[in-house]
Amino acid sequence: MPTLIPLLSIVSLSKSFGSLRVLEDISFNVQRGETVCLLGPSGSGKSTLLRCINWLERPDGGRVLLDSQPIGITSGGLVMSDQQLAQVRTRIGMVFQQFALWPHLTVLQNVMEAPVHVQRRPKDEVRAEAEALLRRVGLHDKRDVFPARLSGGQKQRVGIARALAMKPALMLFDEPTSALDPELVGEVLAVMRDLAREGMTMVVVTHEMAFAREAANRVVFMDRGVVVEAGTPEQFFSAPSTERGRQFLQRYAEGRAVAA
Amino acid sequence: MSLADVLTIFHGALTTLLLSVAGIALGLPLGLGLALLRWGKVPLLNPAVAVYVSLLRATPLVTLVLLLFFALPSAGISLGPVTAGLLALTLNTAAFNCEVWRAALLDLPKDQIEAAQSVGMGRVLRFRRIVLPQIARTALPGLINEMSLLIKLTPVLAVVGVVDITRAAVRIGAQTYEPLPPFLVALAIYVPIVFALVSAQRWVERRMARREAAA
Amino acid sequence: MMKDFATVWSERGLLLSGLGNTVLLSLLAALAGLALGALLSMLLMSPKRALAAPAKVFVDAARCTPFLLFAYIVYYGLPSLGLQFDAWSAGLLALTIYHAAYMAEILRAAWVTQPRAPIEAGLAFGYSGFGLFRRVVLPPLALSSAPVLGNQVIQIIKDSAFLTIITLPELTNAVNSIQSRHFIPFAAFVTAVLLYWALCLVVEAGVSAVGRLAEARR
Repeated sequence: MPTLIPLLSIVSLSKSFGSLRVLEDISFNVQRGETVCLLGPSGSGKSTLLRCINWLERPDGGRVLLDSQPIGITSGGLVMSDQQLAQVRTRIGMVFQQFALWPHLTVLQNVMEAPVHVQRRPKDEVRAEAEALLRRVGLHDKRDVFPARLSGGQKQRVGIARALAMKPALMLFDEPTSALDPELVGEVLAVMRDLAREGMTMVVVTHEMAFAREAANRVVFMDRGVVVEAGTPEQFFSAPSTERGRQFLQRYAEGRAVAA
Repeated sequence: MSLADVLTIFHGALTTLLLSVAGIALGLPLGLGLALLRWGKVPLLNPAVAVYVSLLRATPLVTLVLLLFFALPSAGISLGPVTAGLLALTLNTAAFNCEVWRAALLDLPKDQIEAAQSVGMGRVLRFRRIVLPQIARTALPGLINEMSLLIKLTPVLAVVGVVDITRAAVRIGAQTYEPLPPFLVALAIYVPIVFALVSAQRWVERRMARREAAA
Repeated sequence: MMKDFATVWSERGLLLSGLGNTVLLSLLAALAGLALGALLSMLLMSPKRALAAPAKVFVDAARCTPFLLFAYIVYYGLPSLGLQFDAWSAGLLALTIYHAAYMAEILRAAWVTQPRAPIEAGLAFGYSGFGLFRRVVLPPLALSSAPVLGNQVIQIIKDSAFLTIITLPELTNAVNSIQSRHFIPFAAFVTAVLLYWALCLVVEAGVSAVGRLAEARR
């Protein structure tokens, strides 16, 4: 199998908040078209890791490379300027836990905003694509509605459409369904599953184990700031190779048994 | 009170109105600028603005006007009464506006900015299209409140000789030996203007509350 | 420059007397204004329209009036109706009545957001009328609106400076007299600003202390 240059390369990433060490020497790659799920208990550092990828959090050490291009620190070793960072971020799409839709813009305007004002693409072209995206996530009829009127699941689907409108090479999902009522989770996961199937490169922080099992090519299990184990979903879910991995899955199963 | 007297008062009212509008127009962006300096935690300027705001919110406008009118000439800057009055009004209202804008900035959820950052918006674009529209909405009631307060402070200009409504009323009262009527006329001009602003503020607050409830 | 401040210091008798007047006036107006405002707020909160409506008209009118104009009317205007006051009394009266209206509105606004249950408990235990207001309604109201009331006290201090115009010898008046006689405007007015600032900080410290009291009772 020829080795492809990974789309995303994380090398020895570390991060502390004050005296608290949140990420410890994290390294892994994501190939084009792969869907990687980051799993782990609360406080394991998975969200911080995700946010270090597009430098919303600034890592203390290590490197992040998108298509061999460094993010955050130029090849000359200097910290990137605001403009340089902004440039790189146009290639990475992000979906937020609390949706983060812009409340003063309608659904369609939310999706069109960045392509028009950041990428400076012609308005008509962007509108046509935005409407197509909204159709794809099933919200075309809500395009002139303000976000305040939408349910959580609808807001998140708009959030996904908004990120896709930038035509990113990589999509990051930060616990996309954690803030949703249970009955709304399914519609968002369905959109994400389709995206994965169509070959989008995705890194997803999630607690939805069923989704990870079905849609991920690889899962990365983290605990207390380190990657404890990584492998295919089949490997991890049926036969975790570490004790901590086993404990995590067991506690998860117990939690579900109680809830059921 | 003769017709000429009433006209004098109306002329004073016009002066008051113009100076109020000027003070409001200058104070709004100045207050926003100060708030942004504090919000952005700019090294030397952040504490400087904090001190400025604290001082100006504690200083009576009458004292400030007298200070600017009498003290600046010894520093070489000679201000006429209108300029001194306008400067005092602006400096004062900017300090209060700063706090209103700052509260709105602090109220803005962090992920709004992060979402804008994540799609590659630079600082200026982010501010213009995402931050400002939202904080303007949040800050509006407080800013309107501050506008009504400013208008109620304009009589202070009379202290340095600007012929606004108050000074006109005082003059007429001194001439006619009947001080009450011109004061009441002045009141009749002030009260509706301020009331209009206060009503506007209440209307804005109600609309915002309704929007929140619907969401 | 230092010489100017020394001159101000040499006039400290006048300065202190002016400061004393400001403090005394503000304190009395704040206390009287709060008491009057509390009574007024009772009217505002009353379900009887005959009581609430005129109170609302008064409060709204006062809040739309510039204080200086109001002070002028009390000092210069009322004599033509037969009511003559000296500067001090006129100033105190104007400050008290004017700010009572604001405090009434502050208390009313706080009352709207108060939980009803403790008040209903008061009724169930047999409280009514003034007693209910004083012992059940007012205490939590005053505690929760302390910061806003504190702000109003600062407003009183600042409005007291306006009274220099009706020749009341408060701080700004004293400072103006000093600067005009010795030609030291900068030093004199800066001293005044710093003194007002100090008064403000004292009030804010008081509000924080009340805030801590309120926290303990939350």
